[in-house]
Amino acid sequence: METRRAGRTWFRPSPVGVTLLVVGAVFAVLTPTFLSLNNLLNVCTSASVVAIVGLGMTLAIASGNFDLSVGSTAAFAGCITMSVIPEIGVMPAIALGIATGALVGWVNGLIVTELRVPAFIATLGMLTIVRGAALIYTRGRDIYLFGKTDYKILSSGITPALIALAIALFFGFLLKRTRFGRHILATGSNLASARRVGVRTTYVLWSVFAIVGATAALSGLILSAQVLTGNGRLATGLELSAIAVVVLGGTPLTGGQASIPGTLFGSLLVAVINNGLNLLNVSIFYQNVTLGLLLLGALSLTTGWTPKFGRVVRKESVADVANLSGIAQGGDGAKSEGGDGAKSA
Amino acid sequence: MPEPSVPSLLEVRNLTRRFPGVVALDDVNFDVVRGEVHALVGENGAGKSTLINILAGVLQPSEGRILIDGAPVAFSDPLGSQRCGISVIFQEFSLLPHLSVAENVFVTREPRHGPLIDWETMNRNTAEILHTLNLDIEPSTPVSKLSVSQQQLVEIARALSTKARVIIMDEPTAALNEREVVRLLEIVRSLASTGVAVIYVSHRLAEVFSVADRVTVFRDGRHISTSPRNAVTEQQVVAAMVGRKLAHLERPIRRPGELILEARELTVDDGVVRNVSFSLRRGEVLGLAGLMGSGCSELMEGLFGLRKITSGTVTLDGEPLQANHPRAAIRAGIGFVPEDRKTNGLFSDLAVTKNLTIGALPRWLKSVPAFLDPVRERQVTLEYKRQLNIRFSRPEQRVSGLSGGNQQKIILGRALAVNCRVLLLEEPTRGVDVGAKAEIYALIDELVAKGIAILLQTSELPELIRLADRCVVFVAGEARAELSGIEVTQQAVMEVATGLSHRVAIRDQSLEVANGN
Repeated sequence: METRRAGRTWFRPSPVGVTLLVVGAVFAVLTPTFLSLNNLLNVCTSASVVAIVGLGMTLAIASGNFDLSVGSTAAFAGCITMSVIPEIGVMPAIALGIATGALVGWVNGLIVTELRVPAFIATLGMLTIVRGAALIYTRGRDIYLFGKTDYKILSSGITPALIALAIALFFGFLLKRTRFGRHILATGSNLASARRVGVRTTYVLWSVFAIVGATAALSGLILSAQVLTGNGRLATGLELSAIAVVVLGGTPLTGGQASIPGTLFGSLLVAVINNGLNLLNVSIFYQNVTLGLLLLGALSLTTGWTPKFGRVVRKESVADVANLSGIAQGGDGAKSEGGDGAKSA
Repeated sequence: MPEPSVPSLLEVRNLTRRFPGVVALDDVNFDVVRGEVHALVGENGAGKSTLINILAGVLQPSEGRILIDGAPVAFSDPLGSQRCGISVIFQEFSLLPHLSVAENVFVTREPRHGPLIDWETMNRNTAEILHTLNLDIEPSTPVSKLSVSQQQLVEIARALSTKARVIIMDEPTAALNEREVVRLLEIVRSLASTGVAVIYVSHRLAEVFSVADRVTVFRDGRHISTSPRNAVTEQQVVAAMVGRKLAHLERPIRRPGELILEARELTVDDGVVRNVSFSLRRGEVLGLAGLMGSGCSELMEGLFGLRKITSGTVTLDGEPLQANHPRAAIRAGIGFVPEDRKTNGLFSDLAVTKNLTIGALPRWLKSVPAFLDPVRERQVTLEYKRQLNIRFSRPEQRVSGLSGGNQQKIILGRALAVNCRVLLLEEPTRGVDVGAKAEIYALIDELVAKGIAILLQTSELPELIRLADRCVVFVAGEARAELSGIEVTQQAVMEVATGLSHRVAIRDQSLEVANGN
């Protein structure tokens, strides 16, 4: 587990990836239709919807938080976008929907950092507030779009899968290769330490929550594009699937670590299982039980993954004080860009 | 003083414990007699913890025997060890914070009326035990309301309530201030005078020498020596612990340069620190001394932007310093090594590299801003590994697996990586073994020689005297005295810090403890 080397992590065989291959192979044998192009496309699309928000959730969990309001945000953003398409056109409407999601996320961040409400409570509150707002906005009715087939592109073909992949690459790069990504991990690993090394944890958390909100909105847009309907009840329970795929992917809930490919595989695994069971005509009730068991299995695996025996006992040779070499003094002063320090975290 | 002919209460013979790839205890003999305080010292990895864990029933020996009153015993779990009259007080307390003192003392052994807890008896029995410890608190007080030292005494009360005949204390003074340490040592002595055998495990040799009857040194899993306290010197014990002589035991002569940091009439957080003025020159160590809560830490946190400076001015190199976030302080050239490295310093589950470079990422960035350069980060980590003599196997290793000394060096390295001009050190060697401590002192000397100015807060007076050129003594948020050069002695600092009246009070209490038993 600890043999992580820079740059190689992306291609490490992960438990969830192996499970995915095994489960996929089983379904391929059991049902002839599973491997058909059409079916695989279906699987990819449903996996992508969860993966996109799941990727945002991965960042949130890496920063030591999570967001329960993503389902509501997805619905709200979907409704907003659908309602404004006739007036402002498809692309601006999509942008507005995503911005709405980011705004909701930023409010989550504000509640967590400024009011110091734990993320669980803060986003639970926002879950109901935003769901309510979506229903108020639509007056509880559906918003239909007729003839606006260019919006349908968002959910057709491999578009959702491409979007998910692009976001995964972007977030992976963010976490591995940017200062902002490192600051997310530091904040999630130890907030107090992060502040003390000069990380503006408040801004980091605002950004992370805004990103989660934006990904939730994007998932909501794809869902609404599938049915060309804006509905305040859309994406109920999305928050749980999103957290589930992150956990399945091996990202620990304790913060400070993240597995972007894991989240992708997790989403695929859930989609494959649902799809396969559908093809086998297993009732939806049994599918729920299967998914729950899968999640418990993954959790017990990831928490019990480290071997219990062989506690590391250090035997260190004593340092040679006399040989202590010179202290680093080289290099110029630490320069950093950006605004001034945040007041609090 | 125990007679040599007194039979051992607890004895281990030829004890060996192997872990995959490592022999943690290698054919060790050790014993403790009634009424004795037997100190066990050694560096991290010397085998002390393994021995404690075996005696506590947490680990089983691979070979060897444990004898109590000359009869061999074997236990496979902590309960068995407790039944044999052994009680261990671990460094990390095992108290339940939301329960009362009495509930903690009698947890799992609550006196009962049928199925119900007999609160009256429980509280009364607890009060009696607390009285023998001279601890004046209500048995019904929740443990979370107690100070660290009081919690420690509750742990001891719990040990006493099990009628323990052997009490093992693992680094009992790690979180205590000087005055509390004095009190704890009195209590340890008085426990021994009632016939209890105490195994006292500590890094702090001054304590060991003031409390122990015999001192045993372990090194690399082996028993090195056992001698009566009067027969050895501190230097000999240190030499036995590290296996060679340590250099740098004295403070070098320093040549401070020009003024770098000046504080005038500083008030922090509306009065946690009040009207404090001091100055600091390049290449100088200014010590801040005082009991817990005297304001030293708060002053440092104020300088570093973690607390609000409500009035007064700070100038750094002639320019006013206004830090409202650590980021601003770091940019101004201030480094900070916090007291509690686990909660405020380390990113335990992150790699060594990430821990080292997190403060100075801009310096290792690629030409495009905000992008990291993993190759450079790795190089830098290995550079610091060599320069600070940090011991780890791979830069990708998590820091949680490293020893306290190595963790502390990583935090020091992180502060240095931002090229600070002023370094704030809070308890720089807490929970660090003797070898690493000497290295950290040498490191501090080197930094100072290079012109870095250091503000040092430590509750270990020998450390203060070893490192500080001058010292400001704090009492209740105010600077009471400034001592410099040869004036900086343990006695002078303690007299100011506690006030003479306090010293009298401590002496009275200790008499009571002695008489009470």
